[in-house]
Amino acid sequence: MKLVKPQTATTEHAAPALFAQPQPVHPERRKTPRTWETPPAPVPAPHVDDYQTIVGAAVIDELRFLARELHGKTVRMVNSTAVGGGVAEMLNRLVPLLGELEVMTHWDVMTGGNDFFEVTKAFHNALHGAEYELTRSAQEIFLAYNEQNRQRMQFLEDMVVIHDPQPAALIAARKDSPARWVWRCHIDLSSPNPQVWGFLRPFIEQYDAAIFSSQSFARQLPIPQYLFYPCIDPLSEKNKELDESFVQKVCDEFGIDRSRPVVTQVSRFDRLKDPVGVVLAFKLARKYVDCQLVLAGGGASDDPEGALVLKEVKEAAGDDPDIIILDLPPWCAREINALQRASTIVVQKSIKEGFGLTVTEALWKGKPTIAGAVGGIPNQIIHKLTGMLVHSVEGCAYQIRYLLTHPEFAAQLGRNGREHVKENFLMTANVRRWLLLLRVLLRGRDV
Amino acid sequence: MTTTAQLTQLRTPVKPFYFNTSAHLLRITTHKANTLAEFLDALRVCPDDSIFQHTFRTLQDHHFIREGFSNDFAHWALTACNEPGLAEQLASVDVREFTSLGELRERFVQIVENHLQLNPADGSRTAEETFYFCAADIVMLPTKFVAETMQDFAKGMREVSVHSIHHHFIEARLRLKLMSNDFSQWLHEDVGLTDAARALNRIDIYTATLEDVRKQIVRVVERALM
Repeated sequence: MKLVKPQTATTEHAAPALFAQPQPVHPERRKTPRTWETPPAPVPAPHVDDYQTIVGAAVIDELRFLARELHGKTVRMVNSTAVGGGVAEMLNRLVPLLGELEVMTHWDVMTGGNDFFEVTKAFHNALHGAEYELTRSAQEIFLAYNEQNRQRMQFLEDMVVIHDPQPAALIAARKDSPARWVWRCHIDLSSPNPQVWGFLRPFIEQYDAAIFSSQSFARQLPIPQYLFYPCIDPLSEKNKELDESFVQKVCDEFGIDRSRPVVTQVSRFDRLKDPVGVVLAFKLARKYVDCQLVLAGGGASDDPEGALVLKEVKEAAGDDPDIIILDLPPWCAREINALQRASTIVVQKSIKEGFGLTVTEALWKGKPTIAGAVGGIPNQIIHKLTGMLVHSVEGCAYQIRYLLTHPEFAAQLGRNGREHVKENFLMTANVRRWLLLLRVLLRGRDV
Repeated sequence: MTTTAQLTQLRTPVKPFYFNTSAHLLRITTHKANTLAEFLDALRVCPDDSIFQHTFRTLQDHHFIREGFSNDFAHWALTACNEPGLAEQLASVDVREFTSLGELRERFVQIVENHLQLNPADGSRTAEETFYFCAADIVMLPTKFVAETMQDFAKGMREVSVHSIHHHFIEARLRLKLMSNDFSQWLHEDVGLTDAARALNRIDIYTATLEDVRKQIVRVVERALM
């Protein structure tokens, strides 16, 4: 067992601000949170029918009908990592589910040396808009490893899906392959570095289709572009239903008083998630409403910038005993799940965001959610209908106050948000999209 | 006067009702708009299936919302352009009054044109968010529900997905080219329950969720069976 350093201050309340409603704080309630030192053993992947109780029999039937005409069809997915990261996590669930629906799916992981991954990491940042000088040497390294992998792999399936830029040049194998080729881009291409995009673009244009996670990430391309929202798995440790006793235990360990409203943001200690802005918004809101703030995240131990941001957050929090800062290891999915479920309101006050899966997780748990109107968040939060969009610290503070004082409205947002996720952002919707894509791309063949 | 024997006969369908559904794959088109003027230009030339996506289909995507959501154009006018008047006019367009996407497009074009004629300065003001015109590739699917009797029909109505209800009740008019829906057509033509068919056409899809619509249809059918 590893004892995670208690991050909460233990001193008395500061003098109350004007209009504040100071609440008694139990000196005993700050306990040392405990988390596992090593990741728990992985749980077995769920089966298609396991989702029936969540999405209903009719939705599962639809998947089976969609798959029926695809029986025997084959798919190959290629990405650049087998573990860690959202893509690998998604493929770990998607591949067996497609297989169970008799669309046999093979998952290959690209190999490469450190020099390749240094280049592709730089490409990744550049495609997000970072400045970068594309050298001939970087291009040669990228192409050499793609060629090496092309020679190692065979592409005899009906559809080949290449994930992200790293293996994009595998399209060179297309001339010897019967497959439809699809490029699945998981990153934000809304303002890419022109040199890197200019280098990659000729490869992408040779695909039959491209897939993006948000409309705003798409580029002007001569091939069809599809919109696949990222998804969450409702049966994963992060999202499955939990016993109330476990939720209570986590709150007890982390010193959260559930008799009072809890406002939570779950995210890495990263400036783009604006944790300091959340602290400021909380302090503004608490002049009018009693609440506690939980900032739960990670990244401070393995990332120098994360450690710096954590320090800034602690400074902003000062000695406020109602601000609980938790630096958790990445395998605390169940604890994060419990924290989200224990929350009265969830905040995701990002300044820049990919899709914002923490928003999806909160909505799925029926939590009234306040989030920055950036990246893919507006796809999830329809302002005043499935959540509240904000653009500033003051806006965030106001919405915290509003939702805490209008619980019926907040509850309706939570219900709508959960339905929105159920319809559009669950693993079952993702499986449906892949089956549909296969049917659409194979039209004119025997499907 | 209709006798009991005649009623029973009326309630035995001439043909079974096959519950189908449709699945949609969202495509991002090359059309987008950052101002109302650009929006109008794109609205005129975007593919028909974009008009379908942002009106008929979006109702399905947001089927759980009871109020405040009608179509993507109105939503953008309100939230990104801050034009509540224009948004109200766009939101007032009831897709059920249209049996062709061309007519529906014309109605939206007319509303935006009128707004820009009256408020020319609004045309060039940059919206807070870009409007991306999307479209959908559609795959029609069967379901396991086939109604040989009215009882089967009621059971199917209770159990099919909301996608199937959208397919038959809302999208159908584009296929039928009639101000009606598949359920009403079947009840009228194959079962002889004209009043029930009419009652279904009076259900308001804009103030109800698709689950509410399902319940209302079931109530009408059950009443017809009494």
